[in-house]
Amino acid sequence: MTPKQRIRAAIDHQEPDKLPIDFGSSGITGIHCSVVEKLRDHYKLEKRPVKICEPYQMLGEVEGDLLDAMRIDAQAIFSHGTIFGFPNENWKPWTAPWGQELLVAERFNTTTDNAGNIYIYPEGDTDAPASGRMPKTSYFFDSIERIDPDFDEDELKLEDNLEEFGPMSQEEEAHWTEQAEKWRGCERAITAPLSGTCLGDIALVPAPFLKKPKGVRGVADWYMLSADEPEFLASIFDRQVEIALENMAKVAKIAGDVIDVVVVCGTDFGTQTSLFCGVPQMRDIWLPRYKQINEWIHQNTNWRTFKHSCGAIEPLVETFIDCGFDILNPVQCSADGMAPEGLKAKYGDRITFWGGGVNTQQTLPFGTPEEVRKEVLSRCEIFAPGGGFVFNSIHNVQARTPVENVIAMIDAVHEFNGDK
Amino acid sequence: MNESLNQLTTAIKAGKRKDARAATAAALEAGLPPQSVLDALTEGMNDVGVRFKANTIFVPEVLVAARAMQKSMDLLEPVLIASGIEPEFSIVIGTVEGDLHDIGKNLVMMMLKGANFKVIDLGVNVSAEAFANAVAEHKPDLVALSALLTTTMPAMESIVCDLSRIEPPIKIIVGGAPITPDFADQIGADGYSADAASAVELAQKLCANAQ
Repeated sequence: MTPKQRIRAAIDHQEPDKLPIDFGSSGITGIHCSVVEKLRDHYKLEKRPVKICEPYQMLGEVEGDLLDAMRIDAQAIFSHGTIFGFPNENWKPWTAPWGQELLVAERFNTTTDNAGNIYIYPEGDTDAPASGRMPKTSYFFDSIERIDPDFDEDELKLEDNLEEFGPMSQEEEAHWTEQAEKWRGCERAITAPLSGTCLGDIALVPAPFLKKPKGVRGVADWYMLSADEPEFLASIFDRQVEIALENMAKVAKIAGDVIDVVVVCGTDFGTQTSLFCGVPQMRDIWLPRYKQINEWIHQNTNWRTFKHSCGAIEPLVETFIDCGFDILNPVQCSADGMAPEGLKAKYGDRITFWGGGVNTQQTLPFGTPEEVRKEVLSRCEIFAPGGGFVFNSIHNVQARTPVENVIAMIDAVHEFNGDK
Repeated sequence: MNESLNQLTTAIKAGKRKDARAATAAALEAGLPPQSVLDALTEGMNDVGVRFKANTIFVPEVLVAARAMQKSMDLLEPVLIASGIEPEFSIVIGTVEGDLHDIGKNLVMMMLKGANFKVIDLGVNVSAEAFANAVAEHKPDLVALSALLTTTMPAMESIVCDLSRIEPPIKIIVGGAPITPDFADQIGADGYSADAASAVELAQKLCANAQ
């Protein structure tokens, strides 16, 4: 089987010849740039600065030579714009606070204050208020909430929270065309993000890509909307879906034959122990809109649809299946109610688990290589039978993760596959 | 119980900020003892905590309840101060250095306020030195540390280590997504809780034991 066939078989619940692996095909299945560099060193690949493919979480691009070395089955197409509103193009050098020499986009413009905090700007415009901050001792950016001084929670305006959604630009169309040409015929499965289909992703709510966001842009304010103004939230999503469907049709026309998997939505519905919304509200607000997106995709393309949600979301998995999602990620087995055996037994023949391979909060960063190996082998034994499993860690491999543990993880999957 | 106090408790439980403010104003205008208004508010938040812990309500409902509580406190706090009524216990809280995430920390803070703790919030990205200075200045009964990122767990460990040298000793509780009871034990914290409602119970227990 080719890597593409392997992943497609797994998603369609047929047991592939080998368990497929993903690292780096999306902003939620990636590797921190510092670890990418160490992996390149480990595999003795050409020494060159790692490119930042996702500047918010500082994910490093897993380039073809590293994909080959790790025997990865998925390939990313990233969106034209980054979360900070500038395109990933025209690379320039940048030194990270931890000393790593990186390549970043031309408009990845930063300033540093006296305390060593690094600020990044929407569209790279340093005259606009900064929209992201990386503390001196951190390895990631986080959004700065910029609340419009005229914002009035009693006078919500739909258009304020729709500013970022609109028809695909000419630049985006050109990007899709270029990417489709580049990857048509690729042996790996192609994963691509869709634009505007994230319904309420909290990372996008503060709009770090906009210079002057209006409307509900505070994280807590957004969560309160679902308790206070569910109809308003539903109206935002309705308009979002309407726009997204038009844009999806364009993507399908340009790159429909190239793409295998589309990342539809990264909204997190779970905390470590509970949910951000109950099942009735999920079915009332999210289900009909997700269903509309998934049905369009399944009727008009051969793509498979990918839903990301961290946390203790077991009570929502049945609803995700009813929404028409093919794939669930990152399968946070350490959260309450998310034990792998139970998930596989209850849902394993109806949704594909893309993730769940190893705990990135405990085992991978803090365990020994042998502990990593054992956990990975155990997860493979549980999730792989009958297909419906693509190996990935539970969310991105974090900064400061020992490279020996990442190698132990990859080697354990190859061991499971009988390739070691 | 007086009608306006009932209304206050109901408004907090339902997260109705305008009703909470109106009921508080009515209670204070009627000359009700400020302690009774505070008790009605605490009763509402206590109910929110119980339902949150039982997974019958979720983060958004807790946030709207806390916002309603704050609208009530805006009116009530000056009256409490004027009457010499102060919270029995105080706590210094913050997200550890290198970490900018505060939704969990803020939930704990709101629930603690709802349980009538005095809360000194140091915000996010807080260094060991800033925690130590706040302890020296405010002499709290407890310090609470939060972390969301795996990469800031070592910062939590080093802050706990630094604070453990303070005399007289100060009790420290920890929490956040990647934190486990084992990790809390390992770094020498005095307690761990998995959610905001449990954090309040833990804080109450540690403060009561210290008396």
